[in-house]
Amino acid sequence: MSKIFIVEDDRSIREELAELLRNSGYEAEYLTDFTDSKAKILAAKPDLILMDINIPDLNGEQLLKEIRKETDTPVIMVTSRTSETDEVLSMSYGADDYITKPYNPTILLLRISAVLKRAAGASTSVQTYNGLQVNDAKGCLTDGSRELILTKNEMIIFRFMLDRQGNIVTRDELMTALWDNDEFVNDNALTVNISRLRSKLADLGCEDAIETRKKQGYILR
Amino acid sequence: MRFRDYIRDRLWFYAIAALSFGLMLLFLSAYRVSGQLVTFIAVIFILFLISEELVGFFRKRHFYTDLMGKLELLDKKYLIHEMVQKPGFLEGELTYDVLCQAHKAMCEEVSKYQRSSADFREFIEMWVHEVKLPVASLQLMAHNHSDRLGEKFLEQLRRIDGYTDQVLYYARSESAEKDYIIKENSLKRTVSNVALKNREDIQLAGASIETEGLDVSVMTDGKWLEFILGQFIANSLKYTVEGRDIVMRISAEELSDRVLLHFRDNGIGIPERDISRVFDKSFTGENGRSYAKSTGMGLYIVKSLCERLGHTISVTSEQGSYTEFTIAFSKNDFYKM
Repeated sequence: MSKIFIVEDDRSIREELAELLRNSGYEAEYLTDFTDSKAKILAAKPDLILMDINIPDLNGEQLLKEIRKETDTPVIMVTSRTSETDEVLSMSYGADDYITKPYNPTILLLRISAVLKRAAGASTSVQTYNGLQVNDAKGCLTDGSRELILTKNEMIIFRFMLDRQGNIVTRDELMTALWDNDEFVNDNALTVNISRLRSKLADLGCEDAIETRKKQGYILR
Repeated sequence: MRFRDYIRDRLWFYAIAALSFGLMLLFLSAYRVSGQLVTFIAVIFILFLISEELVGFFRKRHFYTDLMGKLELLDKKYLIHEMVQKPGFLEGELTYDVLCQAHKAMCEEVSKYQRSSADFREFIEMWVHEVKLPVASLQLMAHNHSDRLGEKFLEQLRRIDGYTDQVLYYARSESAEKDYIIKENSLKRTVSNVALKNREDIQLAGASIETEGLDVSVMTDGKWLEFILGQFIANSLKYTVEGRDIVMRISAEELSDRVLLHFRDNGIGIPERDISRVFDKSFTGENGRSYAKSTGMGLYIVKSLCERLGHTISVTSEQGSYTEFTIAFSKNDFYKM
């Protein structure tokens, strides 16, 4: 369970944010008082920091610089100032990503998991599922003897589910993941993609790998 | 300044001179002064008069001709006092001082307005950032309690966010300050950011996006370009043909000296008589009146932003079949460090 630390001065936002993160299976902590924030953040030993740029009596960019001197913990900067300047500065101070408010929660979660994955050094392009090897580079699944080619969309969907194996994945999340990869699919196409992926997995002996939960989404067993 | 006008202007002086001359002659004849002497005095008087007038005329003519000529040439006429030399005669000096003082007072007045409009813009910018906080908060709440606040609620929130963005970018487009950064931006990334941001609205409308040739980078401010594309998408979703599926085609083509980004939809198009005015401030054409409530500001802001970033924008359309916007980004190696 990754621990995410929220540095945000708007009470309502940080509470909702914490709830969102907890609902998505993360541990969430936040600052309520911003004196000596650097020490408090470091003491919490988070896996990722979500930091607002405009914190009272404290410049987020400055704080980021300070934190970077001590640790390589991934940092995502969050701001309501839509400006390229802030983004360029944040990135130059060592932020891993930059998001503007209001953020679509699904996109925020997607960015968080992408940053965490990068930080964990998930460069291992070979993952396994039920004894099947997932080869990203070739875009295929293999059980050693047979090889099964997945389309780009099917691969995006399968990877997304695999990262959250055993948890419910909503259609909204799958949609966001696809659109984030420039696959602007619609509702019907998503349904078709999922049923094709199902039958492909069944061909390799994984029957009922993807379970549908009415009105909620899907679970990869 | 013509001599004739100068003379006409001096008539009162000649009247006085003639009167004094008459009195003098009367006086001289009363004292029985010889005719020769009278003629001599008269000639001296007339010579004095003529030379005085000529000298006066030329001194003034030089200054005023210079003044009028330069005023004609200047497009910022209030800078006239900077252009002429300080004249060497009293009236001219007074005029010159008046010009200087009037200009100074006007500068102060203008800078007062500049300050107040800059303050206002700053406040708007700040206010927009402030208002985004409750919007962000509501969006999170809607997500956390989706059982109670559904998709319809989020749709309205996105509308609020869209309108506040429009205010922000309007303020930015009118501002004299350089609050943008031109750097290399991948069109693919930009388009995908905009698509993601508008995904729900696009899907609710049953619209689809097609892309082609976006593997190219352009020199621009990414955030501004995202706003511009967002305006195009909003328009495409607004001006639709009943019963026709909306298709938005976003494509780029790379030429030797520039990159063209095309945004084409298959909506109702723009009537021919309106097309030259779609970028005008507050212009709402036939579509804006009969289809959707249009403020006539969206495309005006888009055009201003493009001008500030140094891109050219154009539009072609056929009523009932399509509208296509094209933005041209110059390929300037000057920016590439």
